[in-house]
Amino acid sequence: MPSAHRIPLYLLAAVFFIPVAAHAVDLRTQVQVYAAASMTDAMNAAIQSYESDHDVDIVPVYASSSTLARQIASGAPADLFISANEQWMDWLDGQHVTLSQRVDLLQNRLVLIAPAQSEIRKFTPGGDITIASQLDDDRRLSVGETSHVPAGIYAKEALQSIGEWSALESRLANGDNVRAAMALVERDETPLGIVYETDAKASDRVKEIGVFPDSSHDPITYPLAVVNPQPSEATQSFRQWLAGDNALSILSCYGFTPAVSD
Amino acid sequence: MLFEAIALSDAEWQAITLSLKIAGSAVGWILLPGIAVAWLLARHEFRGKALLDGLLHLPLVLPPVVVGYLLLLSLGRNGWLGQWLYQGFGFSLPFTWQGAAVAGGVMAFPLLVRAVRLSLEAVDPKLEAAAGTLGANRWRVLFTITLPLAIPGLLTGTVLAFARALSEFGATITFASNIPGETRTLPLALYTLIQTPGKEAAAARLCVLSIVIAMISLMASEWLARRARKRLEERDR
Amino acid sequence: MNDVSRYHGYRASDDRDDSNALDCRVQKRLGDFDLDISLTVPASGVTALFGQSGSGKTSLLRLIAGLDRPDGGYVRLGERTLTDVEQKTHVPIHKRQLGVVFQEARLFPHYRVRGNLTYGMPPAARSRFDDLVTLLGIGHLLERLPGTLSGGEARRVAIGRALLTQPRMLLMDEPLTGLDGERKQELLRYLVRLTREIDIPVVYVSHDAAEIVAVADHLALVEQGRLVAHGPLDELMMRLDLTDRLGGFDATTRLSAKVVDHDDRYSLTRVVLDDGQTLRIPAVDQPPGTPIRLSVGVRDVALAHAMPEGTSYRNGLDTTIEAIEPSPQEPSANEVRLLIGRQRLRARLTRQACDEMQLEVGKSVVALIRSVAFDSRF
Repeated sequence: MPSAHRIPLYLLAAVFFIPVAAHAVDLRTQVQVYAAASMTDAMNAAIQSYESDHDVDIVPVYASSSTLARQIASGAPADLFISANEQWMDWLDGQHVTLSQRVDLLQNRLVLIAPAQSEIRKFTPGGDITIASQLDDDRRLSVGETSHVPAGIYAKEALQSIGEWSALESRLANGDNVRAAMALVERDETPLGIVYETDAKASDRVKEIGVFPDSSHDPITYPLAVVNPQPSEATQSFRQWLAGDNALSILSCYGFTPAVSD
Repeated sequence: MLFEAIALSDAEWQAITLSLKIAGSAVGWILLPGIAVAWLLARHEFRGKALLDGLLHLPLVLPPVVVGYLLLLSLGRNGWLGQWLYQGFGFSLPFTWQGAAVAGGVMAFPLLVRAVRLSLEAVDPKLEAAAGTLGANRWRVLFTITLPLAIPGLLTGTVLAFARALSEFGATITFASNIPGETRTLPLALYTLIQTPGKEAAAARLCVLSIVIAMISLMASEWLARRARKRLEERDR
Repeated sequence: MNDVSRYHGYRASDDRDDSNALDCRVQKRLGDFDLDISLTVPASGVTALFGQSGSGKTSLLRLIAGLDRPDGGYVRLGERTLTDVEQKTHVPIHKRQLGVVFQEARLFPHYRVRGNLTYGMPPAARSRFDDLVTLLGIGHLLERLPGTLSGGEARRVAIGRALLTQPRMLLMDEPLTGLDGERKQELLRYLVRLTREIDIPVVYVSHDAAEIVAVADHLALVEQGRLVAHGPLDELMMRLDLTDRLGGFDATTRLSAKVVDHDDRYSLTRVVLDDGQTLRIPAVDQPPGTPIRLSVGVRDVALAHAMPEGTSYRNGLDTTIEAIEPSPQEPSANEVRLLIGRQRLRARLTRQACDEMQLEVGKSVVALIRSVAFDSRF
């Protein structure tokens, strides 16, 4: 029998277990960050910067805040949570999840976008020009799901505030999260969409048509909290860093502004 | 009070009828192509047969969201097929129930073809040859021998496809989006309710509803197949 | 049985052409060997394709039916070319007007017997339906499902189904294979009756010599894809060089005779040969004047210089010796061919007997045949 067949079984087993063992070693210095989808690019940049200086593995999970909140409430192994609105953080609190070191981290603005090659000209929503007038009869307005996606909730609030909600309610395309909503605009499946300013900046396939006045909706605040009842040292130090100037300067490159302190 | 508890709300009715309409259309448009492809694979050898077989099974093995995305690329308003559709007919599939029917049909297609192919292969080609010697041309053989003998399998495949289309989620939500009254089928409605806080009870109701509908379709298929088998044995000229 | 005599012939559809003779010359590569056969099938009567399993006879049938295509050659039925490789013509199966009865009955399980029978039946044939059903003895099966039929019943239905399409020729591929003894005999009886009543030619494939003797008029002997001998069966049975191929020790003679009268007391029937000589055979249920065929095994014929006294032999026929040759299979025996009127009778005798009796070609001799030896069920 050729010698290859005589490799001892335990050696083979060891080869397979090495990556597993290595991963186990990794677990001790891993921090799971659950963040709203709208933070994807900004957060990735921040994490990259932090990891270059610190010996730690930051694992981000991006989805709509509603989805993430539900997962955390069901026991997902998150260490930190950044929601795109207060509502979902409050909801988590009500679900008897231990929140610690909660702080309002960032602020965002709501914008109306169109595909990059669109011929629609800039205007400010709530003024003389209505969004409905810019929308062809058979086309739709892309927003996040208005019943639970934060960007959608803000969009609904803003539309109600400028008096366009009843006209547009039946003409919406509801995305699962704000990035999905933006993807529809990128592909020109919908000629217009409502997303965060940070999202609009992140994509070169859409352009800003106008910013919704701050008065048309509640402030879009991103609260940050530690959700792990027994946070590791790495978690706590990352949490501290996130609220610091270094992090904020990186994040503001992507269009976020520091939260206005109450 | 009990009546109010179990009576369906308007929104629920809408989701049910929409689901049935979409799943029904999905099966409707894939039935003939499905039978044709199954017949091709069952009875013919040709170059590229393995390739066709592989392509056919893609929706079975790809994540439904990926399939939905591929549909968007091809049939979206700017897709390579979709723009022709829009320019020619002024119609775009995303956000419409027809689009949801397309998504459901694509996901159900491999299941239909598999079932129909199996039942066609089970038809003894010697019987077809015998029919030929009795003067039946290829079409007559197909309609009087092959298809009737394959009907139980055909029915099973159809109901399977219907059930699959009914429960389709990932491809539908990606391609057709989640529009109430247009594409918000039972699975999508259930999903939305789950996400929304305070709607757990409504979600549970829809869940029970989905199970009931699935059970009804499964039992209907069983009854139909049994009747067809009995009918087969009683056909006369 | 009496119904048979009232059945007045089953005719093929009335085409202008009056000949349904088959002329084929085909070549095809088959596994171990090449098939290369040039055959003419007469326009009436039963032509048997006889040979061992694997000799190519079924392949030949399939080529005629159009189920397979030859590598070279042609198949012509009457004036119609069904296949011609050189001219690239090939009439598809469903247009060939050939009735095919396969080894397995191949009845459609989702049609009842009636539905199967009428599947390919043109409106013109509707009047034949009842007669044919009676002839085949399947009247009581019409509302049954194929799955409930016995092997023999299913095959009779298959035969009826093929005939009701009004084909120009009937092709039968080993229709008796797979049936047990009693059913086989029963079906064979039906086949004999049927082939006497229908007007169209029949090609009958079989590897069983006894079947062929009962049913065939012409014979084509196929071996390894080649035609070894062909012609009227009675002539071929007289050929001593074909003895071992045509049944070896069970070689037989067929005699044509006519019923004269019946002896009810002893359950015997008297029949007369064409030269006026009579024979006594076990009673057959046929009225006087009916022509019948008798089979006599070669071992059932003894020879004597004169009809002996005090013997159990009921039949002594005056014959003339036409030929004497050693048996190819059996070193102790001779094959003797006798002439009775215009018919021939074969006998197998020991060489010792032949020498002792000083039998020579041209001599007259009495052929002794025991009554019970006659197989006249057919």
